[in-house]
Order: sequence, then C-alpha cells, then structure tokens
Amino acid sequence: MSATEAKHEIGSAGEEWDPKIIVFCCNWCSYAGADLAGVSRLQMPTDFRVIRTMCSARVDPEFVLRAFAKGADGVLVAGCHPADCHYIGGNYRTRRRIAMLRMLLEQYGFDPDRLKLEWISASEGEKFQKTIREFTEKIREIGPNPITED
Amino acid sequence: MMSKVGAVMVIGGGISGVQTSLDLADSGFKVYLVEKRASIGGTMAQLDKTFPTNDCSMCIMAPKLVAAGRHHNIELITNADVEEINGVPGDFRVTLKRRTLRVDENKCTGCGVCAEKCPVETVDEYNQGMKKRKAIFVMYPQAVPLVFSIDKEACIGCGVCYEECRAKAVVYEKPDEALEISVGAVILSPGFDEFDARLKKEYGYGHYKNVVTSIEFERMLSATGPYFGAVLRPSDGEIPKKVAFIQCVGSRDEQVGNTYCSSVCCMYAIKEAIIAGEHTAGLKPTIFFMDVRAVGKEFENYRERAEKEYGVIIRRGTRVASVEEDTATKNLLVRYSENGGIATEEFDMVVLSVGMRPSEDAEKLSRRLDFRLNKHGFCETDVFSPLCTSRPGIFVSGSFASPKDIPTTVAEASGAAAKAAALIADVRNTQVTVKEYPAEIDVTGQEPRVGVFVCHCGINIGGVVKVPSVVEYAKTLPGVVYAEENLYTCSSDTQEKIKAMIKEHNLNRVVVASCTPRTHEPLFQNTIREAGLNTYLFEMANIRDQCSWIHMHEPEKASKKARDLVRMAVAKARLLEPLKKSSIPVNHSTIVIGGGLAGMTAALEVSAQGFPVHIIEKTGQLGGSLARLYHKEGTREPREYMNELIAKVRDAKNITVHLDSEVKDVTGFVGNFKVKTSGDEIESGVIIVATGATDYKPSEHSYGKDKRVITQLELEQKLEDKSLRAKKIAMIQCVGSRNEQVPYCSRICCVTAMKNAIAVKRQNHATEVYVFHKDIRTYGFREELYKEACELGVKFIRFPEEDMPRVGGNGDQLEVIAHDTVLGEDVLVKPDILVLSVGIRPNEGNEELAKMLKVPLSKDKYFLEAHMKLRPVDFATEGIFLAGSAHWPKFIDEVIAQASGAATRAMTIISKDELETEGIIAAVNEDICDGCGICEPTCEYKAIQVVKVSENPERLKVAVNEGLCKGCGACVAACPSGAMEQKGFKSSQVIAMIDSALEGGDS
Amino acid sequence: MSDFEPRIVGFLCNWCSYAGADLAGVSRFQYPTNIRSIRVMCSTRVSPHLLLEVFKAGADGVMVGGCHIGDCHYITGNYYTEKRIMLTKELLRLAGIEPDRLRLEWISASEGERCANVVADFVKKVRELGPSPIPRDSRLALRLDAATEAAKVFRLRLLSGKEIKLTGEGNAYGEKVDPERFGNILRNAAQEEFQRNLILELTKCSALSVKEMAKETGEATDATLERVVALRSKNLLALSVVEGMTPKYKAIIVGGV
Repeated sequence: MSATEAKHEIGSAGEEWDPKIIVFCCNWCSYAGADLAGVSRLQMPTDFRVIRTMCSARVDPEFVLRAFAKGADGVLVAGCHPADCHYIGGNYRTRRRIAMLRMLLEQYGFDPDRLKLEWISASEGEKFQKTIREFTEKIREIGPNPITED
Repeated sequence: MMSKVGAVMVIGGGISGVQTSLDLADSGFKVYLVEKRASIGGTMAQLDKTFPTNDCSMCIMAPKLVAAGRHHNIELITNADVEEINGVPGDFRVTLKRRTLRVDENKCTGCGVCAEKCPVETVDEYNQGMKKRKAIFVMYPQAVPLVFSIDKEACIGCGVCYEECRAKAVVYEKPDEALEISVGAVILSPGFDEFDARLKKEYGYGHYKNVVTSIEFERMLSATGPYFGAVLRPSDGEIPKKVAFIQCVGSRDEQVGNTYCSSVCCMYAIKEAIIAGEHTAGLKPTIFFMDVRAVGKEFENYRERAEKEYGVIIRRGTRVASVEEDTATKNLLVRYSENGGIATEEFDMVVLSVGMRPSEDAEKLSRRLDFRLNKHGFCETDVFSPLCTSRPGIFVSGSFASPKDIPTTVAEASGAAAKAAALIADVRNTQVTVKEYPAEIDVTGQEPRVGVFVCHCGINIGGVVKVPSVVEYAKTLPGVVYAEENLYTCSSDTQEKIKAMIKEHNLNRVVVASCTPRTHEPLFQNTIREAGLNTYLFEMANIRDQCSWIHMHEPEKASKKARDLVRMAVAKARLLEPLKKSSIPVNHSTIVIGGGLAGMTAALEVSAQGFPVHIIEKTGQLGGSLARLYHKEGTREPREYMNELIAKVRDAKNITVHLDSEVKDVTGFVGNFKVKTSGDEIESGVIIVATGATDYKPSEHSYGKDKRVITQLELEQKLEDKSLRAKKIAMIQCVGSRNEQVPYCSRICCVTAMKNAIAVKRQNHATEVYVFHKDIRTYGFREELYKEACELGVKFIRFPEEDMPRVGGNGDQLEVIAHDTVLGEDVLVKPDILVLSVGIRPNEGNEELAKMLKVPLSKDKYFLEAHMKLRPVDFATEGIFLAGSAHWPKFIDEVIAQASGAATRAMTIISKDELETEGIIAAVNEDICDGCGICEPTCEYKAIQVVKVSENPERLKVAVNEGLCKGCGACVAACPSGAMEQKGFKSSQVIAMIDSALEGGDS
Repeated sequence: MSDFEPRIVGFLCNWCSYAGADLAGVSRFQYPTNIRSIRVMCSTRVSPHLLLEVFKAGADGVMVGGCHIGDCHYITGNYYTEKRIMLTKELLRLAGIEPDRLRLEWISASEGERCANVVADFVKKVRELGPSPIPRDSRLALRLDAATEAAKVFRLRLLSGKEIKLTGEGNAYGEKVDPERFGNILRNAAQEEFQRNLILELTKCSALSVKEMAKETGEATDATLERVVALRSKNLLALSVVEGMTPKYKAIIVGGV
C-alpha cells in the first residue's frame, strides 16, 4: 500500500499519457468526504475532475456514456453508504444503474472496470484518497480510452 | 403590564440545544444559543458511530450544526457562561460573560494557517488527550462556527499567528465581553460529563496504559481520531487480539455515590464492540454486563446482530472485581464473578464503559439561575412535567435532566421548545428579522455575462495554485466578461466588491473559485441576491479542499486542474437559469389521531400556542391506556392526571374532539391534508399520529384458564381495591417479548414489575415475592426501584436467555421452575399468584393507517420515523408526526416529552402562512411526458403522481408536487424520455460540465 | 589514540573573533594546526542545522567564536548565537553525540593570546573525546540526520529565535514569559521534533512498527506511539502495511502522490 508513483504510459502518439477521470460526487456524503480529504491534506493524483450532484441517483446513464464518448478514461460514481442516503433510497437506484451500465460497457467492448461505484461517507476522507489512488492506478493499467485512439 | 419577549435563550450547544434552537427559530422566535466551548456540537460530535443504525455521528449531525450556525434567527454566543438571571417568565434578563477568543470572528475565515505555524503543542481535549493541538485552535475541522481561538493558558504570546494571519483576525488584547440579553424563556441543555474512571481504582485507569474509557475508545474508532480509526493498544501500538468491555463503571454503584443507571452504556458498548470488530479483522470483543439494557427501538435486534453476525461475546450477570496488569506484556487480567463462581481472563485491552454524571456546571447553574437539582445532582423534574425545571419559565431537555440516549434527547429538545413557545406564543414573529432584498433583475433573454472571482484564501490556495494564471485563463472563456482575484473571497469587504462588480459590468452569472460550496455557497448566493441577482445564478469551483490541499506538491498540475475546474463551472454557469421557490399555502389546523396521553398532550401544546386542533379518537372516551394505571408516579396518580388533561382538552376553545371516530381516508400533502373519518371530513396542515399500543394477551402459562395467573395490570387493579390474597407471589418477565416471534424488548415491564413488587411488600411485608427475569431493565433513575425492591426483600432469579421458566403443578398448587444462572441450579417456587409481565404490541390497525398516510412501519410493526437518531418524531413524509407508544413503548414522562416534541415539529409548519419549496426541484415537460410512471416509485417523498391530462383524459402525465419534492434527481435519471428535469442540475448543465472537463485544450 | 589528530572547524565572526585570531598570528602566538576557520560576518549567522551538517561531514569538533556579550558589532547578534548554540547542544545530546564537541567562545579583537589558548584547549579536549563516532556508526549518523532535520523545523527555529524577546522584553500580551517555563517548552519541543524526525529517518526506506521504532529510538513504546500519532496527523507518516496484529508505518516522501 505504498504511495502511488506516477507511471507514465506512452500512448500511440508517443507522448506521455495522463488519464482523464470524471468523478460524480453526491452533495451530502461523498462530496463532503472529498472535502474532508482536503481538510486533512491527504495527497492524491491530479487526474480527476469532480462533478457534484445532489444525489448519486441523479447520475443519468447518459452522463456516464457521454463522458466515455468524450474521451474519459475512467468514471467514478461516489454516493452515500446504503441506508445512509440523504434522500433515503437514492443510492439503491444508483447501485442498480451502475451495475447495468457496467454490463452495457462490456457488451460494447469496453472494460467494465473503467466504471466504478464506491460508497464514501462524509467522514471518510481517507477512503476518498484511497479510492482515487487505486482507481487512477487501475485506469493507468487499463490504458487510454480506445475511442480517442480511433 | 409586563411585555413579553419573543426570544428564547438556549444554554448548551450539544444536539439537544441545537435541535431546540432550530425548532424555535423555524417557528418564528429569535434564539440565543449559548455554548461554553468555542464551538457547538457537544458530546455527539466526539462519537464515531451511533447505535442502532451505525450512522456516522458527524455526518448526521453536521447539517444541523451548519443550519444552526447559519440560521438568521439563531445567534450563536460561544465561549460564554451564564452569570445571572433576573425577571419573570416571559420577560427575563440574562447576563452572560463571553470569554474572549482573542480572534475577531468577523474576520477569521477558518483557513488554519495560524495553527499550522503555532509552535506550542498542548493537550487536545476533543481527542481525550490522545492527540495534540496547538495553542490557537479549532476543536475539530468541521467545527461550527469555524473560528479559531487562543488558549491563553498554553499560549506563550510569540506573535506568529498574528503575523501569519492574512485577514488580520488575531487580536491578543480582545477583552472578555459582558452581555445582557432579554428573552421570554430559557431552556437548559448543558448536557453531561462522564464519570471519572480513576475513581474506580480497582480497574487501574490512569495507571495501566491499555485500560481506556469508552469515550477514548470512541475517538480511536473515529476516522478523524488519533489512530485514524484503527484499534490500537496505547502501550505499544499493537492491534489487540482480545478486548474486554466492563459495564456500569460509575453507575449502579453505591461505592462511588452514583446509584442510578446511565441508560446508554449497554448500547454504546455493543456499538463500540461491533465497530471495533469492523475495523479489526477477527476481533470479537467480550462485554461484561450486569444486565443488558437494550430497551429502545430495535435495540434488542442490534444486540442480537452483535452476537450472531459480529460474534461479540456478551456475558450477562457478571460483576468485575478488578483489573490487573501484567507488567511485561501490559496485558490485563480481568477478575469477575459469574454463575456463582470467580474467574479470570486475560485481555490485551480493556474499555471501561463510564457512566454519565451531572454536568460540572450543574451546581453553578442551579445557584445562578435559581432552580433545583435532584438528589443525583441532575436537574430536578417531575414525571408529569419532564421538561420543566423548578423555576417557571426555565425549561430543560436532554441528559442534564437524566441520562438518556440521543433519540430521546432530540424528542425532548423539540418538547422543550414547545414549552418555551407556549409561554411566548403571543409574541411570535416579533423578534425575528425578515431580510429585505432589492427587486430581482430580470435576466431572461440576456446573453450570459459571467463574472469569475478567484480566491487565494491567504496562502491555502495561492501557495500552490497560480491564481493569477487562473484569472487570466478565466478571461478567455466564452461568456466571461470579468474576472478578478481576491485574498479572501469570503471576507465582508470582498462581498461589497462582488456586488459592485455585478453592477459595474452588468454581470448576470457569478462563479467563485475558492473552497467548498457545502459551507460557502449560501454566503455567496446571499451576496448576489443583495445585488439583485436570482440566487441560483451562481456556481462554485472547489479549488481548495479538492485541489490545492490535495495536490500540495504538484503546483503545475494543481494549477491546470484549477483552470479546468473554473472552465467547468463557467460552462455550467452559462446555462444556469433563475429559479423561483414557490410557496404552498398552509392550513393552520392540526389533526391528532388518538386521544390518549400522547394525543392529548400534543393537542394541548399546539392549542396553547394558539392554533386549532382536532382529536380523532376511535373509542367513546379520551384517556387511552392511562385509564388502566393506578400506581402513583411521583406525587400523583396517572388517572388523576388523565382527568386533568381531559378537562383541559374540553375547556380549550380551539380543540375539537371527535369520539367514536376512525380514520377512513387521507388525501393531500403537507400544509393541505384532508382526513375523512366515519363521521366527518377535516382539513389540516399537519397530522400527528398518537394511536398508542396494546398489551399482549398471553396464552402462555395457563393464563385465561387459571384464575391465579394474572398480568401486571390485573395485579395493579387488585392492589388498588385491596383484593390481593397471597402469601407468595411469583412474577415472570419477558412474557411475549424477547422470543422468536417477538424479538424486541417492551421497555416498561421490568419497571412495572418493580413497582408492583414494592407495592405488594408495602401492603404486606410478609408476602414473599419472586421475580424470574433475564435482565432487570430499570434504566436511568428507575434503577432506584430495583434497589428498593431488593432492600424490601424481593427475590430475583436470573434465568438463561433461551430457557423460559416452566409453569406446572397439579390443580392445587402452582409450580414455577427455572434455572438460576447465579446459583447454577434449578429453583422451584410454589406461588399463590403468578403474575406475567406481558409485553406491548403495536396496534393491529397500524398497517391500514400507515397505508392511508403513506408512512412506513418498522419491522416490529410500530410506525417508522424518518431517522431513528435525529428525527424521532418526524415521518419522512413531510407534515406527519409521531408520538407515544405508537412509536415505541415508553413511560409517561417519555410520552409527554415526545408528544410535546411532535407538537413543536408540527408548529414549524403551521406557524407559517406559507411553506417555501426548494428551488432545485424536479420539473416535468408535459409535452414530452407520456405518463409511463417509471419515475413515480423512485420518489421517496411521494412527490410524483401519475394523473390524467385534463384536456384529454385518455392521456396520462406526471405531476410533481413542488411542496414535497426535495430535489434529489432520482426521477430525472430514471425518466426514459427526457421529460423529467431537475432545475439547477439539468442534464444539459451537467453534460456541459462533462464536455468541458474532457475538453482537450490549452488550459 | 595518540596519532588521532582532531579535525576542528571554526566559525569566526568578522569583527571580533576573526580579528582576534589574526592578532594571535600577528603576535606569533602558537597553537595547534587542527582548526580550519570559516569567516562569517556575525556569529549569529551560524544556524543549528548548519553546525549539525558540519558534524555529519566528519568534523571531530566545532568551535563558534563571537564577540563578548554587549560588544556585538550588530548589537544583539551574539545573544541569539548563545541561544542557538544551546539548542544545537541539546540536539547533539539527544542524538547521542557529546555536546562538548561543540564550543562557543567569546573572543574579542584584542584577545590574540586568549584565542590561541582557547583553540589549544579545545583541541586537547576533543583529542580526549576521541574521533567523531559518526563516520563509523551508521546508527549515530542517522540520529544526527534526525537532529539536523529537527533543527530545520519551523517550530524549533521560531521558539529558539523568539526566546530572548519573549523572556526579556515581553510577549504579545505585554507579559514576560518565565524563562524556566520557556526553557521547558523549548527542550520538550526539541525532544519531540528530534524523536519525530528520527522516526521519519528510520522509516524512509522500510516500514516499521511502534515496537521496532522504540527499539531503535530508545523511547518507551507508548511515547513512540504518541510520536506516530503526531506524525500521521501532520501527514508525514503513513500506515504502510499491517502484519498480523502489527501496523507498520513509513515516512511519506514529499513530492510523491
């Protein structure tokens, strides 16, 4: 579990490649957990951009697919732990939706591990850091989004 | 003629004080929330998780803290003590002393640079001494208010904090302040202190490193604590293999002078054991209980899960004599008695479940405010007025009155608010301020003109991110007509600057790139509104908490990320639209379903505040279960109190009683309910469910067949009319509770048994009384009853969990046989009368009523509240509230407190003429919507309904109830046709951010 | 050890001690050849971590020469020198190196003979102490590294630098801090920073448990755990792995993610 060292992969253009990761955070839990990671000064890779929604259930499959279509190498959806959703049951829907999307991605020849769902509560700054580090490393392993190479 | 003041002072900013303050502030009263520490939050802010839901404590508490900090009707006065009070109920003058923070709270932005540089490290009390903090500090990072303060004792006055503070907020010579405040009522909720474990010398706390208190353990379990959530032995940092919890440390203990039960330690020990097991693979802690007092809603279920799912080892009927340390390993030898013998067991770590004792300020407060404490040193209250102190106009809630758990505290907090509000109901809305804003500028049809403000936050952002480059980049973005950098965008002078720039450059969208919207969005929204812009024309980019702070050593990449985040925020800002919050009218009536103790109490509290109430009672008379209780509680008899209530209800001009009425149909929503009964149709703004519960009619032990087998209520009747003839009485506890079919504990039976046993002995001391029990659950001050029963010679037989007593005997003589776990052998008693302590059951009508109201039931078929810890009297469905045994079995004082609480919660709605809805709600495009209805079940708040299109009844569409929609967006993502949208988070807006994030581009 | 020739490095202030040394030469006062002097404008230029680096480089003794108290060309410079040397000696002591290897002397421009005598005496003392153990003892070298890092920590530099003002003139409250209290605070801080940095040095390459750290540092395991808590809360140390019931920690290398 040592600190991730930046591994640079050479893309087809022969340049160094940094992954582009989109993270959807829900306002009440995971966004707060990300804030706490910041307050605690927990360092992590820079390759992700956060988009905030009120609930993880707002994350439309269209958003995920659009992100991949526009060149995202990985998408992470973060919500509250089951039973802790601020809107009571939203995250159960998110769980089903992401499971379905992963199957869909696989059918299209995409590595389903490019899409990840994680439950991160408002007090889990360290978990946010760990998730970002591990996911970034995973995406580096998987490689760039095949769409952008075509 | 005295004038009343429409304000209330709440003393104590823990969960109780915060709840009371929010309730009062939401009902039109000004609140002064006085807290002795530098931030609010109390003990609950130190907890990791809460039982029985295992919610993260700070996660559920923080929204309430932030709301209290921001509420324009709540004034926080921190670091303050109460000195004196003068006046009469309705018109008090309270003198406070505010100890100086030595920091100007109007300038401090909470950036934290001062603490980083401070050279002095001292003991961190929040982390129970297991960590260090600086001499200039904030209690914990999410503290409200987020203002640093100087601990003068530790501070050496080196001056570094002053030098480093860019906002110039440090003022060493800032003096203490004396404040005099006029209020109409005072509510005390200063909480409790924990028992000092060093007083139990035999447990070695303070000498043996690996003996810790439960609150220290709580900090260990916290992800924000000293060990980052790991369970470690303080002696050597190793993970313990075996952990023991010792219960009743400082409670139920004459030796240390605390004879009461602290009510919560059984449950919190189980919780800590479960969480410890979650954090440490393979750890199965052992808990040494005397009795396991799991009396609350779903507590028994929690205890069972702890044993079955988590492998927590629960030993009941034990007493720990001593703890000794092995000096080599620092392991601990626990010596205890169990089953009549003495045993020892070695553990790596021991946690002492310390009890609650009265707040250290109790005596001082009671002197200064002139109210009485009871013999235990807690605030004196009466069973029938649990929220009143001995001084009129001063009320009390929470653990200051008696040890209790969080849900009970929160219900009480709302209850105390009702008491205060009733006192000053006629001056409601006289002290609250309504903010005046200029007319809103109409931006429809305008091209977006975005202004971007990029913050340095002292050096927090500027020290990593190249802020000027972000400003320059922002200027190149489409739609941006103005961009500037600020040292602190949140400072008051910058607010003026922002408003000036909005006017000068005709900005119609504003983006602030700084810290997190979770704390600062409302501030900036307020600023742009003051400049005439709709509050929703605002977006934030988080370039601190989620950029500069987490990429501190990569300034180039962090700067690029900041520019990307600004680009994303601008992309969304261009598409933002002004949103209106609509209002729904509110009917000021209340319907209370159920005319028992809870129903009448709630009705009277609402009526006292000047609003009309309808009580719907299905039988022919009011009173409910009170009519069947005979024992004196304190100095009064329940039926006498009941008659008093009934008389008050009848006399109240604004209460209408509907007897012999049952609810047949409920339609409508918050503010506008319509209830059809068997005889009437009643409209109201809110509904309070107070339908009570019933007792179990047993079939065990020949009840019904043998006249000598009776229930406790029947025993009470016999004692009342002196018709009890028995030389020997046996009682069996847990009949119909804590078994396979009904696993929960009915809470009240042990206390009832004790009361009856004592009454039997008092009537005739020679009568022998035997109580067969699993545990004796006389929690709180009711422990005294257990003690008294023992002293009167009542005999107790503790039988095993799974092995109920067997009742037999020939026709002549009853026989009760049970295995006594203390003696280790079977015991035979031949009683003349056998009394069964039967459990409580939810009403059979609950299911149907729940369906009509569209509210859920718990797994035990009681009504299920919105949140078990922090919303114990609300339903998730807005506008409907809950009180009394319909929620869970409880005692008279608990019912009164909770019912008063339900009344207050109802007041937060009916005291208003209109309810403002959320702005960021769902909206359906009726042209596209084909009424497929997929969205309807996704809504937890029942805000969506499939309806017929009025012009074309063949077609269906969906209607969103703006009053109920909470703005989660679940329906939007579910909608297959794109007809459903969420204002403020429209798909087009989110997609614009996605596209912007992935733009190649030279940022 | 008769063939051991101590290698002494001297820092001499331009206005007094360096001039004094020159005068010794002009007056042909003889003294041993072991000292190599570096001229600084004021003795206060010499910061604690610089001195510790000199020891790391292999010096057997270091001497700092300044003006007599009250005579500093820059008025108050040597007051600070005194405090800095005290801190440096404390750090040397914590690291396990004889503090007497560092010497502070006030030598005025007119004290040529004294300069020679002082140097001769110091060389003799260092000869008695023996060669610096650092080059042969990697454990000690590590401890010296920790002391050097501690000397760079803002907290110690601030406390050391502000001591005179706070105990002499008065602090931000206009009160004079009791010198004993301040001394305790500074000594505790020095010990804390040294021990913390020692743990960081030890865990730069390999993850260690609290017990393993304690064995190396010589502190009790519970005190070591407190250090670990402090380092983790400052994000300098991270949990690396858990072996059985034992967590092991590693220093976080700045610059990595």
